[in-house]
Amino acid sequence: MENAWLIPLFPLLSFLILLLFGRQLKEASAYVGILLTLASLVYSVIVLAGRLQGPTFKTEAGWLQIGDLQLTVGFEVNQLNALMLVIVSLVSFLVHTYSKGYMHGDERFPVFYGYLGLFTFAMLGLVISPNLLQTYIFWELVGLGSFLLIGFYFYKESAKQAAKKAFIMTRIGDVGLLIGMVLLFWQTGSFEYDDIFAAVEAGEVSGTMITLTAILIFIGAVGKSGQFPLHTWLPDAMEGPTPVSALIHAATMVAAGVYLVAAMFPLFEASETAMMTVAVIGAVTAIFAASIGLVQTDIKRVLAYSTVSQLGYMMLALGSAGYVAGVFHLMTHAFFKALLFLAAGSVIHAVHTQDIEKMGGLWKKLRLTGPLFLIGTLAISGVPLFSGFFSKDEILISAWTHGNTFLFWLAVIAAFFTAFYMFRLFFMVFAGEARSQMKNVHESPVTMTAPMMVLGILAIVAGYVNTPWFGTFLGDWLVEGNGHGHTEGPVWIMLVATLVSLLGILLAYLMYGRRTMERDWLSSRLPITYSILYNKYFIDEFYERSFVYGAKAVSLFLRFIEVFLVEGLLKVVVGLVQGLGRSGARVQSGQTQTYGMAAFLGLAFLMLIFAITGGYFG
Amino acid sequence: MNGFYLSLLVFSPLLGLLLLAFMPRENEKGIKFLGFLATLPALVLSLMAYAAYQGGKGLDEFSERVRWIQFGGFGAIDENLYTVFYELGIDGFSLLMIVLTTVLATLASIASFHVKKEWKGYFMLFLLLEIGMLGVFTAQNLILFFLFFEITLVPMFFLIGKWGYFEKEKAAYSFLIYNGLGSAVLLIVIMVLFARTGTTNIEALKILVNSDNSQLVAPISESLKLGLLIALLVAFGVKLPIFPLHSWMLRVHVEAPPSIVMLHSGILLKIGAFGLIRFGLGIFPEQFRDLSVLLAVLGVVNLLYGAFMAFIQDDFKMVLAYSSISHMGIVLIGLGALNEAGIQGAIFQVVSHGLISALLFFLVSVLYERVQTTNIANLGGLAQGMPLTAGFLLAGAMASLGLPGMSGFISEFMAFMGLFREMPVLAAVGTLGIIMTAVYLLRAVLAITYGRSDREFAGITDIRSYEWAPVLILVGLIILIGVYPAVLSQPIESIVLGIGG
Amino acid sequence: MTGVPVSAYLALALILFCIGLYGALTKRNTIIVLISIELMLNAVNINLVTFSKFGMNPSITGQVFAVFVIAVAAAEVAVGIAILLSLYRNRKTVNIDEMDQLKH
Repeated sequence: MENAWLIPLFPLLSFLILLLFGRQLKEASAYVGILLTLASLVYSVIVLAGRLQGPTFKTEAGWLQIGDLQLTVGFEVNQLNALMLVIVSLVSFLVHTYSKGYMHGDERFPVFYGYLGLFTFAMLGLVISPNLLQTYIFWELVGLGSFLLIGFYFYKESAKQAAKKAFIMTRIGDVGLLIGMVLLFWQTGSFEYDDIFAAVEAGEVSGTMITLTAILIFIGAVGKSGQFPLHTWLPDAMEGPTPVSALIHAATMVAAGVYLVAAMFPLFEASETAMMTVAVIGAVTAIFAASIGLVQTDIKRVLAYSTVSQLGYMMLALGSAGYVAGVFHLMTHAFFKALLFLAAGSVIHAVHTQDIEKMGGLWKKLRLTGPLFLIGTLAISGVPLFSGFFSKDEILISAWTHGNTFLFWLAVIAAFFTAFYMFRLFFMVFAGEARSQMKNVHESPVTMTAPMMVLGILAIVAGYVNTPWFGTFLGDWLVEGNGHGHTEGPVWIMLVATLVSLLGILLAYLMYGRRTMERDWLSSRLPITYSILYNKYFIDEFYERSFVYGAKAVSLFLRFIEVFLVEGLLKVVVGLVQGLGRSGARVQSGQTQTYGMAAFLGLAFLMLIFAITGGYFG
Repeated sequence: MNGFYLSLLVFSPLLGLLLLAFMPRENEKGIKFLGFLATLPALVLSLMAYAAYQGGKGLDEFSERVRWIQFGGFGAIDENLYTVFYELGIDGFSLLMIVLTTVLATLASIASFHVKKEWKGYFMLFLLLEIGMLGVFTAQNLILFFLFFEITLVPMFFLIGKWGYFEKEKAAYSFLIYNGLGSAVLLIVIMVLFARTGTTNIEALKILVNSDNSQLVAPISESLKLGLLIALLVAFGVKLPIFPLHSWMLRVHVEAPPSIVMLHSGILLKIGAFGLIRFGLGIFPEQFRDLSVLLAVLGVVNLLYGAFMAFIQDDFKMVLAYSSISHMGIVLIGLGALNEAGIQGAIFQVVSHGLISALLFFLVSVLYERVQTTNIANLGGLAQGMPLTAGFLLAGAMASLGLPGMSGFISEFMAFMGLFREMPVLAAVGTLGIIMTAVYLLRAVLAITYGRSDREFAGITDIRSYEWAPVLILVGLIILIGVYPAVLSQPIESIVLGIGG
Repeated sequence: MTGVPVSAYLALALILFCIGLYGALTKRNTIIVLISIELMLNAVNINLVTFSKFGMNPSITGQVFAVFVIAVAAAEVAVGIAILLSLYRNRKTVNIDEMDQLKH
């Protein structure tokens, strides 16, 4: 465990090797990436195993001296970190493997692997950071990796816009985090998590300050985790290659926001307002994104909105004091959502389109991808026995026991939506008649299916580490020694959750599977609602009109100032110098007599003053 | 070290200058190579000084002092009264600036290989400029400082006016007028201080001005001190530049040859910050405290103004010019915070922005060399034809917008950290600038490198041979500072500690 | 010579100087201007001689100086007239208003 800092360095090494020798390695780059992330994975598992028995490990060294203040860097292995290390390195390893097949033939193949390495490095660095400053550093680097990978197809105008949007939207959140972090620093005198929590506990920070900083830090999480209102970048981020979507925009980076709130949990717990904010934003995002997901037709966008929605769930859990529930769902979600994305990638790889209207009947052609996709869909829908069921149940229990009844019902409705649109997606892609243009459809190569199978197994079994039936190992372990608490809830909640998900599946089956109901049932009856949902509540348009135009307007106003005030000042300066020169030239007429007169008058004037004052001036 | 180490360092480009004078003017290759070689002695000497410092050598040992000019017959009272010495010396901050200057000068001389005409005159002026810059950072008294300060103006004027782009004359004149006025104000301050105290030595002034008036030749009232500080602020504000005194600098950025802009943006702008820290903060610490709110406000205004203006520019050079204004706002923010974190942030920003803007302008010269335009609308999809240039451009932009792991982040972070302690609300407004910086830089850089390209890249070479050196060195330094900031924080520790917030 | 007070000499010199100054500044004819300058110089000479006789510490220096002035004035007139003559040859005028070529 003392060498856990090596874990992020393997992918960094991969990045550096590919940066320098990528051109020579060509597609062999994949092996560099895969082997080095495998090393990270193995090491992460060892560290996790060590942490399961041993205590938290933390070490730090000086980094930057500001006067008397010493800022440090280091790493920490506690329960949450160790768990995240394994999740991140596992998904990263699987995605590395998967990409070998998926990106085959791309001329920037080594670059892709290099970026993946950079991202993995940053993400692993993020999860072992022992202090806020270091977290922030890796937080931004993760954003860079995401930005580079979204814009991987840089020649596409849409990819360029998406990359830019992702960077800027998350940066807005990051600034919130930065402000919160610096304010906390001046309040507590440290960036260290432990010191901050100790100061908060000791009551050294005023209540308003705790609320303010917690909310500011939450803004950072909102940006990264695609929560409302900063969620718009995440669906657009699907412009990146699909493995990237699986790694970054489903399993790891977007979960960083949840991770941050979980890591800063004692701070949030100290402020009721902050907790409420987190819970409300989470619940609103969950239902809001789920409602958009109902009508989207791009396979990756549906998944993207479901990610946004599920992240909302996690936030709701954390905001409802359900620490275990949030982290648990983070883990299961990482597995089943990565699975769904990889399966979607496999579909796209096979049919070369992302429009689900153009797909159908692929069940028979993709004998592996189909069932795997089904597993993922069942897991995310919260069907009993799959991993999502247990974690979602835990979240609902948290919301209920914490007293957020309204938010609880919102979450239940969102669960219904989720089950519906996920099965809508499944039926539209895999059921029905095969389209004529889908002739040459083949199953993906083994490098792609193998990672999917691993994730498929995990999507089923990952839930059993924390169940009301067989024991709550994960929960007990996570709260060990930090007293975040663990909640038990009434059994009927589990039944309700099961019921709504089955209802959603049934409805989807009727509309898209058996087609006994009209497909355009919603769109024909509620055209306005449909249009609002289809256009994602016009949020993008609203931002475009308000903030983008607003910034342009400010800029144009400043240009006005520049032209008239600053340039005006310049003209005054120039005019003054020129005017002085001109009048000087005019005085020099060449008339000696005028000169003489001027000299004489000047002398007379001086004498006059001399006579009046009787001496010096003044 | 011998007694004239610093003189040797400062005047070492003179050797190259003399040799160049004997070169035939048609010998293009020879002149360029000699011009490059001539910057090396200073580089080696400065690095040796830095190494010696890291090796534990005191910076006092570098000082040198020779009696130079005597004004008036005050020898009977005190033989040092109204005497100007030729005295050079360095502290941690100026050591950093000297290393930065010599490194950038060498790299800029490599970038100067792109110059198309009259190489001989170009390189001679270039070397003269380097002497001026090095002198500014080593001068130990105000008169000497002023002389070197003026020495930089002359070669800059000709370098802009002769080797620049389309509106080069206009740019050169506005450079001269603004900086001339700034110098005039500076001269007034220097003369008042000299007349009232009888010395121009900076260290002596720091003590004299802040002691009671009995030791002075003529008293300096509190209001006069404040007036002098404001005059200094104006003089160095022109140089920095502070809004609304910035319009000359935009012209210079756009019209001057990129290799010169590397030096201009990298070093000459920093003289403003250097002067404010060294003289403003050093000689008038109390009055500086009174003005700190004003400085912070000016800093935020600079930051936001530059960012918003950069957002709507069409010319990439113009974007970078406004970005420089914006980034100098961070220096002011750090100075306005006036605590350890703030001052350290300001100094970091001075060095960091020097490297980053040099990198970006070098890439501009590489770009212009190949596609003959820097207009964003005419570019696009550069990553297809010139992936390396595009990649480095992106790296430069990332450094500039303060990505952690690169030097820009450290300085931005510390400056804001300082300001958040003193004026949280103002700082919160300022953070809008962090977002806007990302917005305008990505807008410009992605418009150039990403997207579909309208032009054929056939026959256009990517970064080649000698062009690698500046790019790699600059990127390396930027990342080094970002990852291991102690290389900078250590030398300036004593300065920062002296301020004690 | 005791009857005449110092102020009378000085008044004479003053009047003479003022006449000369007026002439030098207003007359158009360059010859007149030159003559006026001579008047001023002579006013100065009167002053010099007066003070060498009646000054605080009378000495011969003032008179010597006056002689110098006369000598210099003579030289000046000679040069002045020579310039004027050649100017006249070139431009057929002695009007001082037209002689403004030195500003170029």
